Amino acid sequence: MTETTTGAWDEARCDGTPEDARNRRRFAVWCLAWAAAFVAATLLLDGGVVPPGAATWVVAVAPSLIGLAAIRSYVTFVRGADELVRRIQLESLAWGFGAGVLFQMGYRLLERAGAPTLDLNDGLLVMVVVWAAAQLAITRRYR
Amino acid sequence: MTNRLRVLRAERGWSQADLAGHLGVSRQTVNAIETGKYDPSLPLAFRLSAVFGLPIEAIFEPGEGPDGVVPARA
Repeated sequence: MTETTTGAWDEARCDGTPEDARNRRRFAVWCLAWAAAFVAATLLLDGGVVPPGAATWVVAVAPSLIGLAAIRSYVTFVRGADELVRRIQLESLAWGFGAGVLFQMGYRLLERAGAPTLDLNDGLLVMVVVWAAAQLAITRRYR
Repeated sequence: MTNRLRVLRAERGWSQADLAGHLGVSRQTVNAIETGKYDPSLPLAFRLSAVFGLPIEAIFEPGEGPDGVVPARA
């Protein structure tokens, strides 16, 4: 039975402590920045707007630098997180990573059996979607 | 592992949020421990011991854990 309470701690019941919620938001902002940079770089490179040479490489590498900052913010979030939140993240990552690898390897066999050929990014998508879904499911389990 | 967290907290008139504040964890963590869904880490068990002023074994009792693991006895 869940006790209802009021205040900042109750508000944060799904996000861990208020500090966890702040770190999670910071991570989300970095992820959005990375996604925006990735889309922008793709459009620039595909559109032939960037002059050939060093500029092309700068545009291609820039999103990954933002991605590194996103990884760093996630590590900061996990390191400082409430221990239950850390547990939820660990289990979610295990599901996400496992599903991604399984899909990537398993689908190679399905392709040989006649399934349509998929892009390498599809395995990464499975990884991220399962990681996100597992967070929701596991958080609910501990509620 | 079973625990007396709910009883000890009620004796002091604390809400889950109050206890979470004392421990520096989320209310969700306190709730998960109370309902037996989550066994706390050793550092958190020591913090609980300090907050209630009781030895750990007066708060927790060994038994089947949330993962279905029964601790070995010496």
